[in-house]
Order: sequence, then C-alpha cells, then structure tokens
Amino acid sequence: MSWRRFFRRSKWDEERARELASYLETETEENIARGMTREEARRTAHIKLGNATRIREEIYEMNSIGWLETLWQDLRYGVRVLRKAPGFTTVAVLTLALGIGASTVGFSVFYNLLFNAFAAKNASRLAVPIVLDTSSPGDIRPLSCSVSDLDLVRQQNQVFENIVGYIPVGMVLLNDGSQTYQFYDGRVTSDAFEFYGVPALLGRGIAPQDGKTGAPPVFVMSYKTWKGSFNGDPKILGKTYTVDDEPRMLVGVMPPRFQAFGPLAQIWIPVTWTHAPSSGNEPEINLLGRLKPGATLQAASSNFDVIVKRLAALHPDDFPKHFAARVESADDLLMGPQAGGAASFSDMKDLVYDLLVTVMILLLIACSNVANLLLARATVRRKEIAVRAALGATRRRLVRQLLVESSVLAIASCVVGCVFAWFGMKIVATALPDVGRGASYWAYIGGEVSIGLNIPVLAFAILVTLFTTMICGLAPALHAVRADMQPQLSGSGRGMRAFGHGKLRAGLVIGEVALSIVLLVGAGLMIRTLFLLTHVDLGFNPKNVLLVLFMPSRGYDLGVDRAKATSAEGMATLREVADRLKTLPDVMDVAVEDTIPGYGPGDGPEVTVPGAGHAEKAGLLACDQGFLRTVELRLTQGRWLSRDEVQTARHVAVINQKLAHDFFGGGNPVGQELDVKKFKGVSISSQDTYFEIVGVVADIKSRPEKPAMPMAFVPVTVRGGFILLLKTRVAPASLVRTVQKQVWAVNRDEIFVFSKPLTDFLHELTYATPEFGVTTFAPLAGIAILLVIAGVFSVMAYTVSLQTHEIGIRMALGAQQSNILKMVLGRGLRLIVAGIVVGVVVSLGLTRFIASQIWGISATDPWTFAAVTILLTIVALMACYIPARRAMRVDPMEALRYE
Amino acid sequence: MPKRGAAALQGEILQGTLDVLILQTLVLGAAHGHTIAHAIEHRSEDVLQVEHGSLYPALHRLEDRGWIASFWGTSENNRKARYYRLTPAGRKQLRAQTSRWEELVRAINLVLGRAAGPTAE
Repeated sequence: MSWRRFFRRSKWDEERARELASYLETETEENIARGMTREEARRTAHIKLGNATRIREEIYEMNSIGWLETLWQDLRYGVRVLRKAPGFTTVAVLTLALGIGASTVGFSVFYNLLFNAFAAKNASRLAVPIVLDTSSPGDIRPLSCSVSDLDLVRQQNQVFENIVGYIPVGMVLLNDGSQTYQFYDGRVTSDAFEFYGVPALLGRGIAPQDGKTGAPPVFVMSYKTWKGSFNGDPKILGKTYTVDDEPRMLVGVMPPRFQAFGPLAQIWIPVTWTHAPSSGNEPEINLLGRLKPGATLQAASSNFDVIVKRLAALHPDDFPKHFAARVESADDLLMGPQAGGAASFSDMKDLVYDLLVTVMILLLIACSNVANLLLARATVRRKEIAVRAALGATRRRLVRQLLVESSVLAIASCVVGCVFAWFGMKIVATALPDVGRGASYWAYIGGEVSIGLNIPVLAFAILVTLFTTMICGLAPALHAVRADMQPQLSGSGRGMRAFGHGKLRAGLVIGEVALSIVLLVGAGLMIRTLFLLTHVDLGFNPKNVLLVLFMPSRGYDLGVDRAKATSAEGMATLREVADRLKTLPDVMDVAVEDTIPGYGPGDGPEVTVPGAGHAEKAGLLACDQGFLRTVELRLTQGRWLSRDEVQTARHVAVINQKLAHDFFGGGNPVGQELDVKKFKGVSISSQDTYFEIVGVVADIKSRPEKPAMPMAFVPVTVRGGFILLLKTRVAPASLVRTVQKQVWAVNRDEIFVFSKPLTDFLHELTYATPEFGVTTFAPLAGIAILLVIAGVFSVMAYTVSLQTHEIGIRMALGAQQSNILKMVLGRGLRLIVAGIVVGVVVSLGLTRFIASQIWGISATDPWTFAAVTILLTIVALMACYIPARRAMRVDPMEALRYE
Repeated sequence: MPKRGAAALQGEILQGTLDVLILQTLVLGAAHGHTIAHAIEHRSEDVLQVEHGSLYPALHRLEDRGWIASFWGTSENNRKARYYRLTPAGRKQLRAQTSRWEELVRAINLVLGRAAGPTAE
C-alpha cells in the first residue's frame, strides 16, 4: 500500500474508470466482429466484465487505509453533530477549557517552582551546605568561608562534583565617563559561571582566566541592567568602565533567564584578593555546589558536618557556639519553610502543592459537569443511535464514533484551555511573591523562574485532555450503546429509560457540590487569614515611612557587622545625612535606628532586672530621639529618649509593656535598672551592662503573626545603627531620588543607599505569600461556584424536561403549580444538601493540609464553614429556580399528548 | 474477494493463482487488461473462465507489490489503453511461484495416487 496512492485515490479511480471503459469498448468491438448487434455486443461485454462500479470500489478500497477512512468519517460526523447543537457545544467546551486551563496553570506553577526554578545546568543536583544554629532554631545560614579556605573545603569534599563561592550582595559605583551608576554586584569565584552553565547572551561570562593574579579586571552585566541602563546597546561590549575607581572591561551580557549569585545582582565581578573590604580581611564567600550523580543529601550532610566542624576549629568566631552542618538541595532551600522570607507560618512549598490539588479538584468539577451534559445528550440521541445500529453499525463502531465526538470536544477545549492558561499564567506570574530567604542566598523565587507554557506543561495539558476525554466520553458512550435499541426506535422509551442514568447524574451533582465546598472553604480560610493578618495592630504606624539602608563602605556585605557599619565616622555621616534630610519640606521626621520595624528586632540578649530572679530574652532596638514620632509609638509611662542622651550615648532605655509586665508586674519601672547580659555595642564588647529605664511604650510587633516580645529601646549611639526612617508627607516612594541626592551631597563616593517604603518591606516580607495564596485560590473558588451553578442548572433542567410527562399527569390529577414547584425545588435541595454535607465532612478532614497557610483562626473555623454553606445553598437554589419555573408552566394537555 | 467463476473448486484455485497467470501472460510481452483476460482464457482452452472483473483488482494488487508496471499506450485499434509489463521483481516472483505451483501439483498427484505428470508449462 503506497502512500502516494492513498493521497491520489480519486485520480487513480478516474484512471481506473478510463481503463475499464476502454476494456468495454474493446470487448464490444470484438463482439460486434463476432456478429452481434451493437446492443448485444455491449451487453455481453458488460456481463463479461462484471459490475464495473464494484471493481472500482474494490480498487479504491485497496488504496485506502481502513481505519483512517472511518476515523475521518467519524470526525466529520462528530463536527457536524456538534455544530448542530451550538449551545451544548459552547457550554461543554468552555467548561472543559476552564478545567484544563486552570489545571495547566496550577501545574505550571508547581513544575516551574519546584523543578525548574533555576536556569543552571543539572539544576536538580545543585545543593547548598548550610549551618544551623542549634540553640536558636530557625537560624539558618549558608556556609561561608574565606577564599583560601575554599581550597580546604574542596580537598575534603567527597560528595560534590564542584563547589564555587560567591558574595551575593554588595554595591559598586560604575562610571562610564559621563554618568555614574550605582549597581548591586555579585562577586563570584572565577569558575562560578562555568559551573552554572548558562551561556552568555553577548560575549562571555566570567571565566577561570579572570581569577588568575594579574588578569585584566573584567565584569559581566545582567540583561535587565543592559536593557534598562544602557538601552540594550550591543556596542558597549568590550568597553572599559570605572568600577569603584578601577578600570574594568565589560566582557559579557547574560541572558534574561539568569539571576544567580546575588538575588539583586546587576553585574558580576570575579573575586580576587585585591577586592577585600577595606578592613584587609579576606572576603567571605558563600558556597554553592553540584552533587555528584548518585550522591545523597545524607551522605553530603555527614561529609560536610565534619568539614565545617574542622573549619569552626580554625575560625571559632565565625560560627555559632552550637551548630550542625547539613547539605540541602537548592530547590528545597529556595522553597522551604520561611522561603517567603518571613511570615513564619506561611510555607510557599505547601502552598504550591495545595494549588495543584485545588486545580485538580476544579478539573474534576468541570469533568462532572461535562459528563452530565454528555449523558443528557446521549439519552437524547438514543433514537439516532438506534437507527444507525439498525442500519448495520456495530456496537464498536458506535462507541468509537461517540468517543471521537468527545475527542473533538476535548481538542477544542484543549486549545481554548491553553489560551485561558496563557492568560492565567501571566496573572499568576505577577502575583508571585518576589521573595527569597534573604540577601545572603544566591537566588530568590522569581529570579529565574518563568511560569509559562513550556514543554512539560503543554504535555500535561494534553494528558489532562486525554484524561477528561476518557472520563467524560467513555461512560456516556458505553451507556448509550448498551441500552436495548428497540424501545428507542419505537419512541416510547423516553420517559422511563431516563432513570437508568438518574443515579449517576445525581451522584455527579452531589460530588460536584461537595468538591466545591472543599474549594470554597479553603479559599475562605485563606481570605480570612489575609484579612486578619493585614489588620493586626502592629503597635506602630508604618504608613508614609521611607526606610533608607546604609552601607558606609564600598563592596560591603549587607547586614553584617554593626560595629564596622557604625564606626564613629559612620555615625557622624549618618547624623549629618539625617539632619539634611530633616530640612526637606516633605519630610516630617527622621530617625536613625538599626532594624526594620515590623520585621525585627530578632532575638536579642538576655535581660534581667536586679533582684528579679529570672532573665529572659528580649529584642533590643537601637534608635534615636526621633523614632517615637516617626513610627508613632505610644508612650504609656515616663518619657522617650532625649537628644542629649542619644548624642552622649548614655545608658538609658525605654522598655515595652511586655517587658515591664514581666519584671515589674503592675509597678512603675521608671527609674529602675535593666541589666543586659553580654551586651555588644559600638564601644562595648560583650559584657553585662546596666541601662536606666526612663519610660514605657505600648507593645509593638516584631512580626505581625507573632505575639509581641519583650523589647528595650536604647540609644543608637550605644549600639550602632545604619537605617534611616523618614516620615514623609507624600508617598514615600516619590522621595527616593531626592534622598539619594542628599546623601551623595554629603559623601559621594562612600555612601550607598537602598531605600524603599516601609510598607513595601512589610508587604514583601510578610504579606506577599498569603496574598499570593488568595490571588490564586479565590478565583479558583469563584470558577468552582460558576461551574456548580451551571452543573446544577443543567441537571435540573434536564431532569425536569424528562419528567414533563409525569408532571402533566400530576397536574391532571389536581396538583397545583406550587406543588410542582415544591417538588422540583425539593428534589434539587435534596441533592444540594447531600453534597454540602459530604463536602463539609470532607473539608473538616482535609483542612489540616492547608493549616500552614492559615493564621489567626482555626482550620475548622465555624464562621467560614457556615458562610460557605449558606453561599452555596443560595447559589444552587438559584440555579434550580428557572427549571422549577419551567416545570410549573407545563401544560398538562401538551405533556400528556406526547408519549 | 467474493468468489466468482464456474465451479467452486476452480474459483478457489483461481484466486490464488490469478496472480501467477497474469505474470505468466506478461512474460511474452506487455499487454493491456483486455488482452490479458482473453489470453488467460485462450491458453487454458477456456477451462479457466476468468471473470474479467476480478482481473483488475488483481492487476492493481500486483502493481502495488511492484511485480508489474503500467503505462498508457495505444492499442491495436488505435485506442488509448493501459498497458502492463513485467518488472524484474515480477520475473523473479513468477519463477518462485511457478516452482511452488509445480510442487503443489506433484503433492496432490502423489496423494491421489497418480504418478508425477509432465511439468506444466
């Protein structure tokens, strides 16, 4: 069977026809030569040949592929049938498309965040050695060591194929001759780019030759920076710029999907000895490695536990007293608990799993809707099927045809679903919390993640489509064909046969309602959590506050050594800047302090009061006289720190109510002494210090979701601080440039600035993940409600249409319209209530799976359950209403006329 | 293919051997459908009545397998007709089929108790 023949069957057939015609002519002539008349000759010739058409048919059939022919026929038939029922087709396609689209989006988020988060080569084997402080659970840092120690680590390493180091956060000043830019930079060991394996877009990445002593200084730029600050000009490649007063050549631009070795890094520079911070120490680098194929994390952890303990023996000050070392995979670290950076209750990884389950549930609801629709249609088409069977179609052929029809539906839904998914993904991508575990890590969620329709996601969409075809198409198809054909043909089967499907339909509706309850409860709990979280009384006012972060020396690591950041010079510069900023018209107050209010302070030293008998850990917040007004603390007793006290670094403190309560009960703490154990400050290193208590303020939260901890506020000059808070009259974000100018006016080259409104910080750190949860779950729940309405409506409408006969009889026997209405609504209500009961029971069991996303209410919060139940009942009853009215309007005469 | 032809036995044997007969006919040179049909009849002394209709599907099958090739030519009475000729593969096939056929005949003769007759042409 040749393919050429297949495609040119009709042409071939024509040739055949000609050939046969020529045969007939020749034979006819011969017959005439034998003496027959023309008529006879022709007739005899025809008889000799046989049925010409049959011959042609036979040959035609030999040229075609049997099953392909029938498939094509089925397809065309299916499309025709679907076109004839536009209402059904549209609803079915849209419903399935919603299900397929939503599940594709969910899977895309799941896959891309958990399995495709990095652009690196063999990213699944990327792993990070971390150090856990065993005395302070939750304190996790990536292992860092000096560059020379990296060799030590490499020698002792048995589990990693390769280890590289990086300094993830720093800032540099880049000058191109006319303009100065301030960029975040990431420093990397010279083999880091090769290790990562992402080729540069232009030029090359950092290469091992750049790390050799004496190598010409180079740097590499990120795509965003290249586009944003240099207009994507390809000509800048190879140019030399002044970076931190040193000429460096730009050797490459990275592609858009590259944001490693520094979550904020805009350029990358090779680590060499000469680029140590001014203190003269070797730079400390964080480590990132790729495990050998087959190496397990446990083996790696035990290996590194030994290595790190050896390192700690060499540099005891760099490590916590009691620690353990472990190796974790890069993916786990990125998405693990507290991956949101913050809200300690909200686990991004769990959220992603929950999302996947939710979209699957939504898909099931959509499928059950479509299955119901198909069941109804199959019943309606029984006559047609019976006729076809009578004409000779085998059961197999009929089932195949129905399946093909479902497939056409499914393919259309797949396409539409992918379109929906594309839009959905765009929305989700913007809501994705742009957070990570902190600046000291090499990456953050969203850095290299792209939520889109990549190959695995498309494959999933197709798989899902196949699955839905099977579920939605097979059952109705088998059902329709199994039934005895004869009653259908004679037309009397309509009223009674229908209930063969009744149980299945009812079951589907109950299932749908139950599933949607589960979704609604989940979404409801998350919405309430977010609401409660954002309405927590923080104890201070973060609005209209601009937070300005300082790094007073060059090439420095964020958030590290306070003493260095707050040397006498540093503090003086800070003071000058603060005074300057205070003069700005839009700035109402300025405060100098050392933490992000609402996200700190963290655990501090132990404090006690002489004679109290116990000590407790308190948070220490160093600030100045302006802090009270800037964040609007509430003073309850005594007074706040004064300007003099701050300037002279007197040992005074203001405590919060919790601390006051813990040590003084109802008494007056003002004038008492606070003993801070092992206090570390600018001029003090680790000894017990006494502070005189001068006032008490109302509690403020160091984390919205945690209860207030005991806190003491001490003058910033005693401890060191590098954060400015500005209370602004206008939107804080609008003042960023002004602040930068003012700061540079004081000291151009030395001071770096990072400023953001405080509310943005809090948002990113605390609310972003729960918000993401709500942004994804709420629309899904909404879609679920719509689907349930549609489902209930279609089932009720269909049932009513089947019962027209029965209703007619009832009415003829005297039932009133209101009785009919009650009957129909009653039936509907029974289904809905059954569904709700099942749904509530299931939810009660399942909510513990989203317990990690819930805060402030219990996972079985009765209000939420009640609200959801009421909502769904109302909505479902509404869906029953129209069919019920139609039932009411049945004319008994009409109904009884048709059998 | 539905059975046609004179006696049932003849029909059965004919089905399997129609291909061989056609190939054999074409050994002597290219011919068109009509000629092949009559040639088979004549050479078998009219014992094998081929329903000429079943010839064409057979020709088609043979062409599909590459044992014969077709081309349009002019017939004796100046009409356009479709001619068939034997391909080298067809020749090989013919030899193979012929020897198989001969073996079959020998076997049947042995079973029926007759001595092996002169080999068929």
